Amino acid sequence: MRFDRVWSRAVLIVALALAVAGAARAGGVNFGDDNDSNADDGPSYFGFVREVGGPGIADAKVTAALKDGGALVTRTDIMGVYKIPGFGKDIDPDNVTISCAKDGYKQANVLRRPRDNADAKDPIEVECYLQKQ
Amino acid sequence: MTRAFCLAATLGVLFACVGTGCCIAQTLTGAVSSAAEGAMEGVLVSAQKDGSPITVTVVSDEHGHFHFPDGRLAPGHYALRIRAVGYELDRPQALDLGATPVEVAIRLRKTSDLAAQLTNTEWFMSMPGTAEQKRPLIECMSCHTFERIVRSAYNAETFVPVLKRMAQYANNTIVARVQPRIAAREVNDDSVRKLAAYLATIDLSSAPVWDYELQTLPRPKGRATRVVITEYDLPRKSIAPHDVRTDAHGNVWYSNFVENFLGELDPKSGANRDYPIPVLKPDFPAGTLDLEPDADGNLWLAMMFQTGLARFDMKTRTFRIFPIDSELNDDAMQQSMVMPRALDADGKVWTNDVARQAIMRLDLKTGKYQRIDPFKLLAKGHLHAPYGMAADAGNNLYVMDFGDENVVRIDAKSGATTIYPTPTPKSRPRRTMLDGSGRLWFTEFAADKLAMFDTKTESFKEWGVPTPHTYPYDVFADKNGELWSGGMASDRVLRLDPQSGRSVEYLLPRSTNIRRVFVDNSTDPVAFWAGNNHGAEILRIEPLD
Repeated sequence: MRFDRVWSRAVLIVALALAVAGAARAGGVNFGDDNDSNADDGPSYFGFVREVGGPGIADAKVTAALKDGGALVTRTDIMGVYKIPGFGKDIDPDNVTISCAKDGYKQANVLRRPRDNADAKDPIEVECYLQKQ
Repeated sequence: MTRAFCLAATLGVLFACVGTGCCIAQTLTGAVSSAAEGAMEGVLVSAQKDGSPITVTVVSDEHGHFHFPDGRLAPGHYALRIRAVGYELDRPQALDLGATPVEVAIRLRKTSDLAAQLTNTEWFMSMPGTAEQKRPLIECMSCHTFERIVRSAYNAETFVPVLKRMAQYANNTIVARVQPRIAAREVNDDSVRKLAAYLATIDLSSAPVWDYELQTLPRPKGRATRVVITEYDLPRKSIAPHDVRTDAHGNVWYSNFVENFLGELDPKSGANRDYPIPVLKPDFPAGTLDLEPDADGNLWLAMMFQTGLARFDMKTRTFRIFPIDSELNDDAMQQSMVMPRALDADGKVWTNDVARQAIMRLDLKTGKYQRIDPFKLLAKGHLHAPYGMAADAGNNLYVMDFGDENVVRIDAKSGATTIYPTPTPKSRPRRTMLDGSGRLWFTEFAADKLAMFDTKTESFKEWGVPTPHTYPYDVFADKNGELWSGGMASDRVLRLDPQSGRSVEYLLPRSTNIRRVFVDNSTDPVAFWAGNNHGAEILRIEPLD
C-alpha cells in the first residue's frame, strides 16, 4: 500500500513535469517567441481518478467547475491521471469543484489534499473516486 | 437493329455534345520519361487551352502512362506543363488537339534550379536549425513562400527592419497586394533580432549558394496518381480566394481575402463574377475571410478590417451589412470569423474580435453586437485567439483557440464557457466543421494533426498527418467519413480515413496556398474544392476511387 502510494506520486510528478515542459507558447507578432507571462496563473489541478478500492480509470471525464459558471474539462490518461491547467489567480480555488464521470460509473467521493503553507500557485491534488453502477 | 442502335447512339452523343457546347470529345494520352529514370511515375501533366482559364491535370502511373478523361479537353491548341520535383519539361511544350485522339511522348530533363521547385514543407525539411528556431516561420506562409526568405541576402542586422515592417502588414496581405495595418502593433525587439539572426543562417547573405542540402518529398505513387485536378484561373492576380464552397447548382463561391468582392465561379465555363461588397472603412485593408451559409443558403462574410458582417442574399444577389457599433469600432477592430448556421434558434450570429481575443454575438433584431471574453476565467498574459467556429442546433458555439490549445464551448442561453484543452499541448486548433453526428472536426495547425472532438462524449481523437511540416489549416469530413485537409506548406491535399488510418496525399500542379477546404458530397466520388490564396485560382480534385 505504501509502495503503491510512493509509486503513484512518482507517476504524478513525472506527468506534471512533462506537462510543464510543453508550455512554450507561440505568438504571431512576436515571431513565435514565448510572449506569455504566468504572473496571473492560478493553481493547476491534478490527481487520479480511481475506482473505489481499485486502480486508476483511463479516459474518465474530469471537470473543474466554477460556482458562478464556466468550466475546464479534460480526460484521464491510461494510468487514470489527469491535469487541468487551472484558472487565473483571481479565481478562488475554494470556488472550484472537481468532479469526475465515466459511463457505467457514478461518482463516489472526491478528496482534496490539504495545502498547508502552500504557495498560491502550487498545484492542487484532488483524487476522484468512481463506483461501478 | 444493330445499325439502328448505332445511329441512335451516335445521334445521342452528338446532341449531348451540342447541348453542352463541348464539341467533339477528345482524348489525350501519352507517356512520360526522362534520360535519368526512363518511364516515370507520379509526374503531373497539365494541359491548358489557349485563352481558357481552365487547366486540367492528370498523373502518370507506374508505367509512365497518363490519360486525360474523355470529353474533358475540347479541340484547340494546348500549352503543356509538368510537375516532378527535380525535373522540367523538355518537349513538347504544346500540342494541338483535333478530331481524333492524340498520343504524346513527354520528355523531361533535369532542372538546373531545384530551389525554385521546393514547397514550404521541403524548405522546412532542408533548413538547418532547431524546431524552436523554425517555429516562427509557420506565420510567414500566410503572406509568401519560404523561397522569398532563403533567396534573400539580408544579414542578421538588415533583416531586422524588414521583419519589423512586415509585422505592420495586415494578415490579409499577399505579395500581389500588400496591406498595411492602420493600428500599429507592438513588436518584441528581442524576438525580431533572434529570428533575424536565424534567417541569416539559411539565406544567401553569406554565400552564393546554400550550404545545406535541399531535401525533397517523393513523387506521388500508386493511389496518389489516380486523380484529376482542375484549376480555374481567376481574372486578376490580386484575387486571393480564401474560403470556397459550392452551391446547390454547382457554382463555386469564394471570399476574396484582399479585395472587397464576393466571387462566383461557373466551373463549366470558368467564368468569374465579382459582387462588390460595400466599403465601410476606405483607408483600411480590404477583403473578407470566413464564408459561411445560414440555414436558408444565404452567404455570410466576416469583413476583416472593414469590420462587421455581410449577408449576401442568394436570390436578390444583394448585400446587407451589419456594421460594428461605433463605440466598439476602433482602428484595430477585425472580424475574421462568422457563424450564422443556427441563427434560426435565437436570431443571433457569432463572430470574433481578433484584436481583443474575444467573441462577439450579433443580435439580428437590434443590430447590436455583444462582446464575450471566453477566456476571462483563465490567467491573463497568455495568448489566445478565437478562430474557427461551429454551432450546434441550439446555436451553442464551439470555437477553436488558435493562439493556444483549446476547444471552447459557449452556451447560447447562459453564456457559460467550457474549455477543453486538446490532448496535444500547444496544438493551435485552427478551422473546424460540425458533422451531423455532433462531431467537431478540426486541424491542430502547430501539432501537424487532424482531430475530432465529440460534443456528446466530450472526448478527443487525434491523427498525425503523414508528412511532417504540413501544418494543416482546415479539414472537411465527407459523406463517406473520410477527412480532406489542406494547408499552406506542402502543395498537397490529404485524404485520410480516420477508421483505418489509411491516407493518400494528392500533389497539386502548382505552388498552392490552401485555406478553407470544402467537399462537394453530391458527386460520386466526392469532389474536393479549395482556393489557392496566393495563386489567384480555384482548384477541384476528383479522386478516381
